[in-house]
Amino acid sequence: MLKYLIKRVLWMIPMLIGISLISFFIMHLAPGDITSTESAFDPKSSEESRQKLRELYNLDKPVMVQYGLWLKRMVQFDFGNSFKSHQKPVFLGYTDEDGNYTKGMIEQALPITLMINVLGLAITLSLAIPLGVIAARKYQKWQDKSITLFNFVGFSIPGFWLALLMMYWLGVANDWLPISGLHSLNYDQLDTWGKIKDSVSHLILPVVIPSVTGLAGITLFVKNGMLDVLHQDYITTARAKGLNEHTVVYTHALRNALLPLITIVGLSIPGLIGGSVISETIFAIDGMGKLFYDAVMSRDFPVVMGILTIGSALTLVGNLVADVAYAWADPRVRRGVARD
Amino acid sequence: MQKNLLFKALANPLALTGFVIIIIMFLLAMFAPIIAPYDPDAFDVKAILLSPSWEHWMGTDGLGRDVFSRMLYGGRISLLVGIVAVGISTAIGIVLGALAGFYRGWIDTVIMRAVDIMLSIPSFFLILAVIAFLTPSIYNVMIVIGLTSWMGVTRLVRAEFLSLGNREFILASRTLGAKDFRLIFVHLLPNSLTPIIVSAVLGVAGAVLLESGLSFLGLGVQAPQASWGNILTDGKDYIQFAWWLSLYPGTAILLTVLGYNLLGEGLRDALDPRSESS
Repeated sequence: MLKYLIKRVLWMIPMLIGISLISFFIMHLAPGDITSTESAFDPKSSEESRQKLRELYNLDKPVMVQYGLWLKRMVQFDFGNSFKSHQKPVFLGYTDEDGNYTKGMIEQALPITLMINVLGLAITLSLAIPLGVIAARKYQKWQDKSITLFNFVGFSIPGFWLALLMMYWLGVANDWLPISGLHSLNYDQLDTWGKIKDSVSHLILPVVIPSVTGLAGITLFVKNGMLDVLHQDYITTARAKGLNEHTVVYTHALRNALLPLITIVGLSIPGLIGGSVISETIFAIDGMGKLFYDAVMSRDFPVVMGILTIGSALTLVGNLVADVAYAWADPRVRRGVARD
Repeated sequence: MQKNLLFKALANPLALTGFVIIIIMFLLAMFAPIIAPYDPDAFDVKAILLSPSWEHWMGTDGLGRDVFSRMLYGGRISLLVGIVAVGISTAIGIVLGALAGFYRGWIDTVIMRAVDIMLSIPSFFLILAVIAFLTPSIYNVMIVIGLTSWMGVTRLVRAEFLSLGNREFILASRTLGAKDFRLIFVHLLPNSLTPIIVSAVLGVAGAVLLESGLSFLGLGVQAPQASWGNILTDGKDYIQFAWWLSLYPGTAILLTVLGYNLLGEGLRDALDPRSESS
């Protein structure tokens, strides 16, 4: 197991180098050098920030040297400072002379996005697993057919459109839920219970809507997994032993059908992080997605590059966790791994 | 073989529904200049934000433009972007997948590692970043979506080539002295075509969704050119006064994407030897 883990972690190094190469390449896509794009966008701050950019990326040096220097800073988690937003550090914050800590932009935004996605994933799984099991047990019956239809709509509906409709219905037409931000303006004056209620009501739309659109894929996956497992010999054996259907389905079959789900959840991480751009922009939530969108719109290159790299690194870590969890959960893999 | 596949798939009512939806969308887009009652870009200050009526079937937007006409022209963009983007990604995927699956060895390793790396970058971030560093336009959107979504096809083609590569007819023609080029394009590729078509049809669904999302964010098709995505941007701004600006373009996207998904899944079922219909 340990050997597998070490191998798996070492494997991430070439991947990270590849990712950094792509990120670096993208930065050089900009016509001219990036300082000219910057100045074209904001003529006021041009000369100062152009100089800053040239220093930051060593644009006077050859491309390979530039890449090397950039990589060196990246390894030290130094992604530079934002051009906008009072030149805040992009990734990690710093402590000034008075001992006050200023948070980095990603440091501040990441927990929000993670929280929303973890909550959303929990909702998705808690709905998708029962739906998938029902569809598999009632295969080709009306239950399965309606779930299939629901899946097709779920696959096809633009998430931002669903968000708009819900915003209109729940927030504008009926005023049942707040439609932007994470807290009300009077949040600080509320008592503890009021604060909880306020936070929950702000979270409902941004958490539920992305999880509804992610539901279809996972439901289909659980259904197919269950269909495969239910036809296996050991299920027939379990039934032949006279176990009741509930035990057969939920204890014997489901556990095996859910194993590959670990991998799927791991693979869905880049989609979740990427999808946060649209939902966070619509609901005005200051997470990674909105930070990225704002950076893109204002050509804040250090922030764009920082999020691109951190987002990819997160995906790698997520996949690593999923692989290790799979190896740990599946005795076949666990033993196989131990042997090699 | 391909023709049979289509007929077999269309026996399935869901796939047939999808096929009909796509055909209707294409006809509407193709004949947009004839059907559209108004110039899609013509402002009319006397007709701002009118709700749907006999004169304006889908109402008018904040600049007094006829939403129905804009929807028709927007449909052209959405359909075009979907197909061109998938054309690009499928072409790249076929070439890389064929190289990896045919030559194996280090070529395979390099290409598959590139696939892994591309898959670990959140694709929406990647697309936004590239478009930001270039300039947003319909061409860049098509190219960028194509360049960032070839990984699935690559894996698919490689897997097909790997499994076909050991079959007797390939060994036979290799023994007869067939060149690599002939083996790839005459023997292997035609036999891998059906799964590629399925993945392309499903890919168009994804690309249409992606384009609408990008246009919604203002990074895709640029105003005044209409696209379903950027009509929805107006819908968001006027959500308190004009529901029709949100409802119709969203429904159009939903129907189109649904059409491609239904057809794609129908094709996949018809292709799958395990399904009962075969």
